[in-house]
Parts: sequence; C-alpha cells; structure tokens
Amino acid sequence: MAKPELKTNQKTQVEDRSSLKGTLASVFLLGLFIIVSWVSVYYLFVDRF
Amino acid sequence: MINVTAAKIKVDPRDAKLSMAHFFVAFTALALGGLMGLLQTLVRSGKFELPFGIGYYQVLTVHGVLMGLVLTTFFIMGFQYAAVSRTAGTHSNAARRTGWIGFWLMTIGTLMSATMVLLNEATVLYTFYAPLQAHWIFYLGLTFVVIGSWIDGAAQIMTYAKWRKNNPGQPSPLLSFMAVINTVMWIVATLGVAATVLFQLLPWSLGLVETVDVLVSRTLFWYFGHPLVYFWLLPAYMCWYAIIPKIIGGKIFSDSLARLSFILFLLFSIPVGFHHQLTEPGIDPVWKFIQVILTFMVVIPSLMTAFSLFATFERYGRSKGATGLFGWLKVLPWNDARFIVPFIGMVSFIPAGAGGIINASNQMDQVVHNTIWVTGHFHLTAATSVVLTFFGISYWLVPHLTGRKLTKAMNKLGIIQAWVWFIGMAFMSGAMHFQGLLGGPRRSSFSTYGNSQQALEWIPYQIAQAVGGTILFLGIILVLIIFINLAFFAPKGEEEFPVGEAENLSEKAPMVFENWKLWLGITAALILFAYTVPFIDIIQNAPPGSKGFKTW
Ligand code: HEM
Ligand SMILES: [Cu+2]
Repeated sequence: MAKPELKTNQKTQVEDRSSLKGTLASVFLLGLFIIVSWVSVYYLFVDRF
Repeated sequence: MINVTAAKIKVDPRDAKLSMAHFFVAFTALALGGLMGLLQTLVRSGKFELPFGIGYYQVLTVHGVLMGLVLTTFFIMGFQYAAVSRTAGTHSNAARRTGWIGFWLMTIGTLMSATMVLLNEATVLYTFYAPLQAHWIFYLGLTFVVIGSWIDGAAQIMTYAKWRKNNPGQPSPLLSFMAVINTVMWIVATLGVAATVLFQLLPWSLGLVETVDVLVSRTLFWYFGHPLVYFWLLPAYMCWYAIIPKIIGGKIFSDSLARLSFILFLLFSIPVGFHHQLTEPGIDPVWKFIQVILTFMVVIPSLMTAFSLFATFERYGRSKGATGLFGWLKVLPWNDARFIVPFIGMVSFIPAGAGGIINASNQMDQVVHNTIWVTGHFHLTAATSVVLTFFGISYWLVPHLTGRKLTKAMNKLGIIQAWVWFIGMAFMSGAMHFQGLLGGPRRSSFSTYGNSQQALEWIPYQIAQAVGGTILFLGIILVLIIFINLAFFAPKGEEEFPVGEAENLSEKAPMVFENWKLWLGITAALILFAYTVPFIDIIQNAPPGSKGFKTW
C-alpha cells in the first residue's frame, strides 16, 4: 500500500503565528496616506500663494 | 484570577446611578444639538430659512455648546467614573458624594449658560471669543461647569489614590490609570479657560471694567482649546486600547505601551495652543514655530496607537488561524455592535489625523484656516471617531449600569446606526473638506456674496452637506431610540463590562509611569517653556483693549 501523503509535492507554508507583517503593511499604508494628503494640499498652497 | 484589572466585575449600582445621570444629560444634549446641526446644513444649502427670525448664529452657538462642550464632558465624566469603579473598586461614599456635587454644579452651570443662549443673550459661539460679549450669567454658568468638572474628576482621583494606597508597588489598573491621566490633563488645561473667564470676561461683562485684552483671552482660550480635543479623544482611546481587545476575544498588545502613549498625550497636548493662532498677529513667529514642533510630537503617540491596534487585531486573527497579509481582518467580529461601531470610528480617524497634520502645518493652514474644511475635519475627529466610539461604549455600558441586556435587535440597530452615521458623515464632512479647499468659509450662513463666481461654485457642496446632515439626523434618531431602549425597556439581565488583559501578564508596567510628580513636573516645565516668553510679550506690547460687541 502506497502512502498517498508522501506523494504530494505541495509545500506546506507554515506562517509564523507571531508574525506582524500585516501590521507593518498597515502602518506603511497609513503613513503613505498621510504623506499623499499632505503633499496634495502643499501643492495647493504652492499654487496659490 | 490574579489579574488586578478584574477587581470587581460589576459596577456597583450606587456608582451606576451617577454614571447614568451623566448620560441622561449627554444624550439630551445630543438630541437638541443634532436638530440644530440639521437646521444649519439646511440653511446653508440655500433652500431653507429659519422661522420666527431666529438667527443662524444663535442656532450655531446652541449646536457648538451642546455638542462640543456638554455632550462630550458629561459622557466622558460618566464613562470614566464607571471605568474607575469597575477597575479600581467601588467608589467610597465620600468619593461618590464628591461626584454628585460635581455633577450638579456642572448641570446647574449648563442650565445657566443654556438659558442665556436661548434668550439670545449669548450668541457668541462655543468658543466665546472676545470682543463678542455675552450676558454675565453665561460666563458664570461656564465657571460652574468648569469647577463642577474638577470636583467630578476629583472623585475618580480619590478612588485611584485609595487603590494605590491599598496596593503599594503595583501598577494601577490600566483603565483607571488612563481615566486619571485624562482628568489631570483636563484640570491643567481648564486653568486657562478659568483664568480668562474669571479675570477677564466676567468682570468685563459685569461692567466692572470697560475693555478686554482680546489676544490674551484668545491665547488663554487656546491653551485650553487644544487639550480639550484630546480630552474628547482619550476616552475613545481607552476603549480602543483596553476594551476592544476583550470584546474581540484578543489581548492588549502591550500595557506599558498604552500607558506611555497616554503620558505622551498629557505632556504634548497642552503647550501647543498657538497652532490655532497661526494666522493671528501679535504673537512672535518664533514661538509659533516652537509650538508647531511640539504639536508634531503628538504624532508619535498617535502612530503608537495605530500600530498597537493593528497589532492587537492581527495577533488575534492569527491565533484564530488567519493567514496572509490581511487575512486577520476577516475573522474580526463584524456582527458585534460593541466592536464594529468603535471600529468605524477608528477607521475614520485615519483621514481625520491626516487632516490634522495638514492643519497644523503653518503654510497649509493658510489654505484651510477658517474655511469649512476645518469643520469637516472635526466632524471626523470628534463627531465621528469620538462619538461613534461613545455610542459603541454606551451599547454595553448603559445596559450594564441599568441591569439590562443588549438584545440581538438592538445590536443590529446599533450596527445600522453606525453605518448611517458613516454614510451621512462621508457626504457632509467630505463636501466640507472640498468646499473648504475652494475657499468656502466656516461659521457662515447661506450667501452668494453678490453672485460672485467663487461663491456660486460652493453651492453644490452645500447641498451635499444638507443631504449628509439629513442622513446624520436619522442616525441621531436611531441612537436615541437605542439609548432609551437600553436605559428603560430592554429585558433585564447581565451585560458584561469588558476589560482587556495584556498579552504578557508577567511584563509589569514600570512604576515610573505612576510617578505623578515627575509627569506633572515635565508637563509644567513644557507649558512654562512654550508660553512664558510669548505671553509676557503679548501683555507688554498689548494694543488698547476692546469694548464689548453684540453682533446679533
Ligand atoms: C446631525 C449631526 C450633525 C450635523 C448635521 C452637524 C452639522 C454642523 C454644521 C453644518 C456645522 C458648521 C456650521 C458653520 O460653520 O457655519 C457644525 C459645526 C459644529 N459642530 Fe456639528 N453637526 C453634527 C454633529 C456634531 C457632533 C456629534 C458634534 C460634536 C461631538 C458636533 C460639533 C460641532 C462643533 C463644535 C461645531 C462648531 C461650531 C462653531 O463653529 O462655532 N457636531 N455642525
Ligand atoms: Cu489643536
């Protein structure tokens, strides 16, 4: 009897339970949003004054 | 359970009564203030005029005072009083009596000021800037509110001090610590407004002195005005840091980080009032610059908060087996009003905070100052992030205090309420932001300014604000229905007062966080540094004072 589970080629991805990469991505997105808003209004300022 | 935060699971009924007394005043203010808000948006659309010759500015004064001062202060004091009772133990009879005295003083003061506003004797807006001059009873009422709030806050401090005495060498329960930080910040901040009201505005409105130094009074007001907005925000942060983790079934990411961020808010919320006076002549630009730098220090605890909330959510999600970059978002309890209502508030704080950084930047303030952008900004911060969190808190706290249960139907209505609010605010605040960038003024009734091209461009945005305001008013009706149901009609039962636990219980918060001499000392030093020289300068180079004006 073959052992079917040995045949699978799939890599089981084990993600670290303690990973905080989602948090990292989130705070980067947050920072990006702040910078984009700031720069857009800054351009309004440069344009007008 | 060894955990000190779980001292008592239920708020004592005697303490519950005082908290509920605060909430009745707060939600009455919300009802009346909400109606005024609706009227303002309708008037500003140009399609509606106020009946009986009522002035726009009277309505706006009622709205600003009820929403910005009464709703917030009463809700916060009631919530913090309950949070201290829950986490540091039932208040002593003396503390409770102190709390009641404070409550009644605040209430009497509110009634005095409100009466003057309704009699059209105090149409000075909620900032009561000199040289607009109100009836002296209005200012006396404000004095009562401020002194009442000190006494009310003293009750929390007494119970916190008792806990510290009974538990030497132990860090205090997180929620009590946070409540006391906010109360202390409030007391330090209100010294400024008490000074201008007692020494300038009251004698002047009584006719004891002829004139008032406008810049001094505005400077004292903004010494108070900026920490005022943090006084609104910190109770919401209490919920986000220390209560939401328990509601979702997770852990507080770090107890020490939460305490440190609150201390940073105490330090950096006060010596920054000039960022509201950037366009004001008579203040040395060097000191404006210094206070703007101090303002930007607040970015640090704000981003610490954002990080720590994301981390709480992600760690909880991964413990439930979520994978991928954002898989954790999916497993959050989206059907629980106690979570989603404050969560919508948190998300709204992202554009709100970004807007704040723009406002505080000197050059960009020239673009947005006194435009309706600013109103759009604080309807995101205060009127969305903060009040949605307050609504979310009351959905479990009110039944907890009244011995009832949040039913499935009310839970559902709460979620609907929050979405209605969010949609209404997206219209209203969004349109305010854009109209402000096109130069539309705040604190302004409808006008086409002699059919000027620029003013005509604002009209579509004003109509969008009226649409948003109508949706928001619907949201107010919903929240009132829920509040009345939970206070009087919901089935009897037990509703939990959720208090989060830190992930790492063996990590004891450093005792230096409870060293009040140190933190109050640094707070005072920063205030003296930021204000002494410019304040002397303002007084020494003062122009002649102004007599009072009644523009209404
Ligand atoms: C039904 C919901 C609401 C509507 C439709 C509404 C509408 C408005 C409008 C149109 C203005 C600006 C008018 C002007 O500048 O001419 C305003 C100002 C203001 N609102 Fe609201 N608002 C609502 C809820 C709230 C809430 C919940 C708060 C506070 C927690 C709040 C606090 C304020 C404050 C402090 C002002 C400034 C008043 C002033 O400039 O003197 N509003 N509101
Ligand atoms: Cu400010």
